[in-house]
Amino acid sequence: MIALAWMRVAGFVRSGRCLAPLVAVLVVLSILYGGGPSRAAAAYGYSAAALFAVLAWITKLVLDTEPDVQRRLARLAVGPAREAAAGLLAAGLLGAGVCALAMLAPWAFGGISGPAIGVGILLGVLAHLLALAGALALGALAGRAVTRRVMPGVAVLVSGGVLAVVLGLSDSIAPWLVPPVMATARALSEDAAPAAGDLLWLVIRTLLWCAAALGIYARLRRARA
Amino acid sequence: MLFEGLWFRYSRRAPWALRGAEATAAPGDTIVVLGPNGAGKSTLLQLAAGVLRPTRGRIRDRPSVVGWVPERFPAAQPFTALGYLHAMSAVRGLPARAADPWIERLGLAAHADTPLADLSKGTAQKVGLAQALLTPPGLLVLDEPWEGLDAASRTLIPEIVTEVTDAGGVVLVSDHRGEIANLPGARHWTLAAGELRTTTTQAKPETDELIVEVAVRRHEAAAAVVQLRAAGHRVLGVRENGLSVREKHTTVEEDR
Repeated sequence: MIALAWMRVAGFVRSGRCLAPLVAVLVVLSILYGGGPSRAAAAYGYSAAALFAVLAWITKLVLDTEPDVQRRLARLAVGPAREAAAGLLAAGLLGAGVCALAMLAPWAFGGISGPAIGVGILLGVLAHLLALAGALALGALAGRAVTRRVMPGVAVLVSGGVLAVVLGLSDSIAPWLVPPVMATARALSEDAAPAAGDLLWLVIRTLLWCAAALGIYARLRRARA
Repeated sequence: MLFEGLWFRYSRRAPWALRGAEATAAPGDTIVVLGPNGAGKSTLLQLAAGVLRPTRGRIRDRPSVVGWVPERFPAAQPFTALGYLHAMSAVRGLPARAADPWIERLGLAAHADTPLADLSKGTAQKVGLAQALLTPPGLLVLDEPWEGLDAASRTLIPEIVTEVTDAGGVVLVSDHRGEIANLPGARHWTLAAGELRTTTTQAKPETDELIVEVAVRRHEAAAAVVQLRAAGHRVLGVRENGLSVREKHTTVEEDR
């Protein structure tokens, strides 16, 4: 599975498909940190929320890079479960790289200031990991192996990205329908660090949403093999 | 391997590509799947390999290691031939050098550093063949394997098929080029409009044939096979000198 994940990472990078989302990441980070410094926790919280859609896009691109026939060959080689997991692992590795870039970027821009920087960095790592987990699940649901055709995949990706913001607003009627990236950003933007219980609830909500989305993904992959 | 009432369609509104296929394949069987374009040959082969799931029915006792050579090798990948085969070796849990014997045997060494997208159809087909054979398969599924191969390379297919079946494997191969004469003892499955008909006995040789064993120099073997075929003879197989005659040859002689 590890070898298959690395093969897919190599295929994604060598194909040049990584360039467009990389530019998008740099644009997002430039907008976020171009306006002056802010507290670490708040900056990283909004960075994670802003990168959610880009991370989901990267996941879809990684999963869609190899031809369908090659995906079937890989499934024969390692089995269906490992083949599906290897795709998510490859996307997760690349997404983790983007998150690391997002964590380091504000230091180059001078975008972090204020007290409690250490705590802010830890909260920022958590926020990016939560965003990455949700983005992997959304990107997987938008992958061609599930949607079969291009347009439905794009529709799932765009709808998921927009709904994550709209349904994540503080007065949302159905916040549980989307991963709590906006709720995480709001929690980290408060002057005081969020309580441990609030953070735990955000982690649980994210994990539950990812479990549901990846369960649907696994079911659809099995049905549409 | 048991094919139990296989039905398949590509979507709910699509017509049935396969209707209630029932068949059995035993270890050592070579099965040639025949049928016109669109009859469902590739669908049946992909179901057999396990890359498609039947809509109804099931396949039981499929060997654990399956090698599949697709009709069109997916060459639109950013790897060289060597890089691809090394990566697929790693995916199969093998050292990268596991691909080297097949690269040598299939004549891929000269194209090792060529990007997959730049390979000719026949060479890409050989890469597809090599990846399917990295781990000795219990089931080898060949979808139009002769497509794009030159005359010398086409002799490799019967050799490889024989090696797999001699090791107790099952080989399923589709063919619309009439190359099946090169697969002695093969059983025929015929598909028409999604319905499968199987023959229960192996194909018999022509009644007025004799088996003549000929020894040739190793480097002249491919050319000799081509010349014999050009003269209208059936080449039943190629083997190393000093090994016992294959069971299938003996069977052919006994049948006479």
